[in-house]
Amino acid sequence: MASHTIGETSLSDSGPSNHHHHHHVPYAAALHGMNTHTSFINQEGSAFDFGELEEAIVLHGVKIRNDEAKAPLFTAAGRPAATLEMFPSWPMRFQQTPRGSSKSGGESTDSGSALNTLSSKAETQLEPESPISKKASSSDHQAFEQDQLRLQHQQQVEMSNDTSRTGPSQNQSAAKQPQEKRKGAGSTSDKPQDAKTLRRLAQNREAARKSRLRKKAYVQQLESSRIKLTQLEQELQRARSQGLFLGGCSATAGNISSAAAMFDMEYARWLEDDLRHMSELRAGLNAHLSDGDLRIIVDGYISHYDEIFRLKGVAAKSDVLHLTTGMWTTAAERCFLWMGGFKPSDLIKMLISQLDPLTEQQVMGIYSLQHSSQQAEEALSQGLEQLQQSLIETIAGGPAIDGMQQMVVALGKLANLEGFVRQADNLRQQTLHRLRHILTVRQAARCFLVIGEYYGRLRALSSLWASRPRETVICDQENSCQTTTDLQMVQSSQHHHHFANY
Amino acid sequence: MQYQTADSWGFYVPMRSRNMEDPLERVAKLASESAVVIFTLSGCCMCHAVKRLFCGMGVNPTVYELDHDPRGKEIERALMRLLGSSSAVPAVFIGGKLIGSMDRVMASHINGSLVPLLKEAGALWL
Repeated sequence: MASHTIGETSLSDSGPSNHHHHHHVPYAAALHGMNTHTSFINQEGSAFDFGELEEAIVLHGVKIRNDEAKAPLFTAAGRPAATLEMFPSWPMRFQQTPRGSSKSGGESTDSGSALNTLSSKAETQLEPESPISKKASSSDHQAFEQDQLRLQHQQQVEMSNDTSRTGPSQNQSAAKQPQEKRKGAGSTSDKPQDAKTLRRLAQNREAARKSRLRKKAYVQQLESSRIKLTQLEQELQRARSQGLFLGGCSATAGNISSAAAMFDMEYARWLEDDLRHMSELRAGLNAHLSDGDLRIIVDGYISHYDEIFRLKGVAAKSDVLHLTTGMWTTAAERCFLWMGGFKPSDLIKMLISQLDPLTEQQVMGIYSLQHSSQQAEEALSQGLEQLQQSLIETIAGGPAIDGMQQMVVALGKLANLEGFVRQADNLRQQTLHRLRHILTVRQAARCFLVIGEYYGRLRALSSLWASRPRETVICDQENSCQTTTDLQMVQSSQHHHHFANY
Repeated sequence: MQYQTADSWGFYVPMRSRNMEDPLERVAKLASESAVVIFTLSGCCMCHAVKRLFCGMGVNPTVYELDHDPRGKEIERALMRLLGSSSAVPAVFIGGKLIGSMDRVMASHINGSLVPLLKEAGALWL
């Protein structure tokens, strides 16, 4: 039979190689659509109506996405919508099938014989008004349909095994009953009346099934996304431990050393601790704790800062450039970066206005502290300048310098940077300790709270800056675009919690 | 800014039997001859920073560059022992007493003890 042959052809298409399916347009679009739908319907093995069709398409789409293999059968523009439009008339066409088919339906209603159940259900729909039915009302179609269903049975069983759907089978069995009942009712004489009722019922069922299936598809998507997420996290973990660069912070997309990555992580943890310390300070001040109790909290905050200087010292040994380039901190903080951290005299300048009231002696002490830290900063800056000058001379090279030797010397000079960052951190630490010494316990508590809040605001400013609406976002190079976005994401994820205070 | 160069040291040394002197003794002797004495190496940038710090405060330190001394290596080793660190320079003496390296100098400046020391040694006049 011609139709049979063609059915087989398209069947094989709609089977394993779904992506070829749309290339074959056997007869009318209706037939093509029919082929499509029947495969889904068989997949479901439940009532052959609008709802089943819909759910089959949705699930098939989900499965295809999961497989990432083939384009769904209905990727042609507007095809799904078009096929959906056809659904209302779909069952009706089958109602015109000869009575003979119903017998076969009756025989095989026992177990999961989706094939026959389908055809039986199809038969029990009673609606003579289908436009499609007018086109394809030949028994040939019916037979062809059944052959197709049979041949597709294997495929369906496979597919239904892949995506474990207990729901549909339940629907199947649930729907079976009314269908069965209606089978008998369908053969009564008042067809128009029953047809309308049945149609309404069928559409209700469709709607219910549609929403159930959508929900299921969504859940399946969530599950697969979750799996993907855990996989990505594992990759990230692995790559981090290998010291690779991920979600980078540099437009040159260079590698971040493992020491730097480790420091970044420790710093993030330190920032969280900072928030905790600050809330302790705040609570301590508000609760008007005794000086003794407050002293403990204040000393705890000093130790907290001692800790970060210690961590920076460790990091400076392995990757001082990570510290001096400020890649461990936010963009706004980087504006004010001095030798891998904050400038002590700037901090004191900021504090002077915030620390009132102070005794005259305290004021003298603070100003003297500012002055001496300025002198120390100046000295260190000049020392660094000399280092830079020396490095420039080495890298520029003389007339008779051996390349390798030149590099070795340059490396040696660059290593001196560690010493400067260490001294700068030392200066910062000394300044904070001196502040603690000059101020009373309560003043010190307030002072450190001010410091913490100040840097918190600076970090928040950085996040806001990174996420402000801009016109030029896309640039030519994909890499730099991606890293810019990643930088924003990394920064906002790192510092979003600073918004908690505002 | 003035500071004595290796020349003056070289000039000083022949008057004694330098080979007999213990490096530590030499260090002590040199340190006591000026209010502020700094031992450096010519290429050392941190030494430059320390020098700039004192000069910025109005102090004229006496600087000895160990790489220009024939027995500089010994002195370096002695200083390393004194400082308890792997780097001998910069080594700062004020009033004949060892203060330490850059970190100690800065710490003492921040906590306000450096200026009195300098005044005491006669390196600063208010």
